[in-house]
Amino acid sequence: MRLKIRASYVAIAIIIVLLMTTAYLIVSKGMEAKDRSIILIPKTIDPHVEFWRVLNQGVTAAAKEYNTEVKVMGTPSESDIDEQIKLVEEAIALKPKAIILAATDYNRLVPVAQRIISSGITLITVDSGLEGGISTSFIATDNYEAGRKAVETMRRYVQGPAKYAIVSFVKTSTTQLDRENGVRDNLKNDPSVQILDTLYSNGYEDKAYEQTKKLLAEHSDIRGIFGLNEVSTIGAARALKELDPEHSIKLVGFDSSMNEIAFLEAGILQATIVQKPFNMGYLAVKTALQVYNGEKVKASIDTGSEVITKENMYTRENQKLLFPFVEK
Amino acid sequence: MRSWRRPIQFKSIHTKIALAFSCLILCTTIILSYSAYRLSTVAVTDTSLEYTKQLIEQVNKNIQTYIGNMESISALSLSNADLKRYLALKNPEGTEGVQLASQISSYFHAIVASRNDIASIVFAGSNGAVVSERMDANFKSYAELITQEWYSKASRNNDDVAISPSHIQHIYKDEYKWVVSISKQMPNPLPGAASGVLLVDLNYNVINDLCNQIQLGQRGYVFILDQAGDLIYHPQQQLIYSGLKSEDIPTLLQAKDSTFHTQEKEQSKIYTVRTTKFGWKIVGVTYAGDLSGNKKDMQLTSAMWGGISLIIALAISILLSVTLTKPIKQLEVHMKQVEKGNFDIRVDVEGANEISKLSRTFNLMISKIKELMNQTLKDQEVKRISELKALQAQIQPHFLYNTLDSIIWMAEMGKVDEVVTMTSALSKLLRSSISKGEELIPIAVELEHIQNYLTIQNIRYRNKFTYAVEVESDILSCRILKIILQPLVENAIYHGMKHLPDRGHIRITGRRIEGDIELKVMDNGVGMSEEKLKTLMLKTRQTESGKGFGLHNVNHRIQLYFGELYGLQFESELEEGTTVTVRIPAIPPIHNDSENEV
Repeated sequence: MRLKIRASYVAIAIIIVLLMTTAYLIVSKGMEAKDRSIILIPKTIDPHVEFWRVLNQGVTAAAKEYNTEVKVMGTPSESDIDEQIKLVEEAIALKPKAIILAATDYNRLVPVAQRIISSGITLITVDSGLEGGISTSFIATDNYEAGRKAVETMRRYVQGPAKYAIVSFVKTSTTQLDRENGVRDNLKNDPSVQILDTLYSNGYEDKAYEQTKKLLAEHSDIRGIFGLNEVSTIGAARALKELDPEHSIKLVGFDSSMNEIAFLEAGILQATIVQKPFNMGYLAVKTALQVYNGEKVKASIDTGSEVITKENMYTRENQKLLFPFVEK
Repeated sequence: MRSWRRPIQFKSIHTKIALAFSCLILCTTIILSYSAYRLSTVAVTDTSLEYTKQLIEQVNKNIQTYIGNMESISALSLSNADLKRYLALKNPEGTEGVQLASQISSYFHAIVASRNDIASIVFAGSNGAVVSERMDANFKSYAELITQEWYSKASRNNDDVAISPSHIQHIYKDEYKWVVSISKQMPNPLPGAASGVLLVDLNYNVINDLCNQIQLGQRGYVFILDQAGDLIYHPQQQLIYSGLKSEDIPTLLQAKDSTFHTQEKEQSKIYTVRTTKFGWKIVGVTYAGDLSGNKKDMQLTSAMWGGISLIIALAISILLSVTLTKPIKQLEVHMKQVEKGNFDIRVDVEGANEISKLSRTFNLMISKIKELMNQTLKDQEVKRISELKALQAQIQPHFLYNTLDSIIWMAEMGKVDEVVTMTSALSKLLRSSISKGEELIPIAVELEHIQNYLTIQNIRYRNKFTYAVEVESDILSCRILKIILQPLVENAIYHGMKHLPDRGHIRITGRRIEGDIELKVMDNGVGMSEEKLKTLMLKTRQTESGKGFGLHNVNHRIQLYFGELYGLQFESELEEGTTVTVRIPAIPPIHNDSENEV
């Protein structure tokens, strides 16, 4: 009898302990889930590069909306590939929910990216992808499509047979390759059109300027120039400002900057194709969370691009793209 | 097998009570926790909606203050006398114009410098005059300026203030600033003067900061719409322009100051709308799911408290059931003892509840049983003694000696036939007495025994009496206690016949009467006086067995076996004779001698 009572006390004690443990586990699990963050590794954290600041805004907006923490780990310069590889290693050690990576190099980051995947961390690439497309999802501008848009825009200013030039940046960059292919593929089916060999500025504005000047001297019949990124466009615009005061040679560029806007307003630059970094950042976080929660996502998401001309640059939608509001 | 059929079987009351309590408590706790949770959810939701409303009201007030300030600044600026004179000039580029422009500019500058929310003040007149707070402003061409929205809108609005949505101000060359601007046409310029529009730009930072620092739950936000449905401020403006997100702008434009829900894919948003004096709509967005962040906490809290009270209640219920069943268990333990044969125990009775009453009754019952047991033991003892006595009666030694003496005597006399008869009767008598004794024997056997006895006695008393046995044949197989009749016949001979001068007669009858059997031993001997009969009857009834008193023993045996209703009865009259009646129940024969059955 007494033994039985004692047994029931023991049973009660066990039940209490079990319930407490369960409650504790539930609570602590809930906290743990919130602790794990998403890590964003952009090409650079240089505050002067507007593209990444705006992308970051998109990331922050998504982080707030989906109630998750996002840590940013980046190198001061876009060219610091080794440093970025090291940062990815550090990020893996933190065991985040997902890593959002903008690879500074198409090939050299592949091994470390493989390690992200093999440690069971979701990998999302943004803006610049990796060889073999190993990430779960690649969120970027469809640059081939952007190239097509550039051609379409150019055709509005230049009709009939014409000779075009392309000023590009780095030969091995996938961004440039896609844009160039977009431009070339959409021009080549017109036999009256001639496209000159692509010039590579290697990312130097002055080199683009010199090359364009040389080009204009060699080919006086050029009717249109494509500048495949900001630096190339500015370089070409400077050359045109100097050598083509009548604005008879049309220029379609990519990306946006205050300089480009000035050239746009001056009528030297006819149009520029801009990307949507805010959307990129936002969608990267959203997609990472979807993958983390086991949802299916598209292997590549196009964030789109807009054609900005002098006429439409002050519309409400384009103002936000062209002059992103960046808090001081 | 049984446990296989019903795997859960609660045998003890203890478990049943505990279980019943637990179920009851579980249900109550769940219901209470759930309703508490529901109530607090509603309360929290209401509170946070009220809080949102207050915040939105605050934003509304701040924005109205900013716009109000801008309006007063524009009114102040427009009333500047220099400005009016400047506008009246035919050629604002002239020396007077330059002079005036410089004065106006420093006046504007003073205003802008005193406030950090104003980005710039610009005046453009239809006479080509353009002046701002900057002395060396690098304006875009006049032609371009007057095509811009602020100028054209204010001209169209006449005296009303035109408020622009947030936009890039591009009046200066190479300067692009996010502002919200109000523009107003110069009212009643001096006669003959041209008209003009004054522009006051508010730093967009001000509104951005104002809206940005508002926290509505985890994910909630504030946005501002103008009358046309254009976004003044939205934290995710780009997403909306790209169509990745949307707000229900048509509904919002219709909405008065109110709070309403919209369902969007998997989450529902709560819009809190407040309209400013000049038509902007300040919209607070809270996610219903955000409240469920709190909900989760509340769920956890109510579940935890529910769990704790459940544990306490369960503990109490188990304790209570133990306390309740403890006396029952005690009783059970005592009953087990009784089962084993221990009747000397008593259950300790405490209190006056049902169980202690039960215990008391139990105690009473035990003592009664004990009494009855003792009684039975005593009865058994008496039975054994009387049986022994019956056996003794059967073979009284002096009866044996007398009989043997008679046989010797008759042998000496050469009465061979009689010797044979007597010896054979004696032999049968002795055989039946040593035969394995069952208490109950068929009446036929008892009669045979009495025949033998009568044969011997008849010879011994030299035919002093005759006898007859007249028993109905249908009762012969019924059973009777053995050696009942012999003492009666013996009495009849010794007390009735012995002193009778003539030859007497003994008659034994037997018949069935009202389901019983009645045997009579009648003699026509000397009989008894009434007084003597009474003494005899009294002696027979006495429980104490008289020494060697056969009749008493017979009566006692009958009553022990068959109850008080049965026994002996006497009738006697002096000189007439005595009749002894034996009444026993009709006991059917046992199965194996069913041949005698009728």
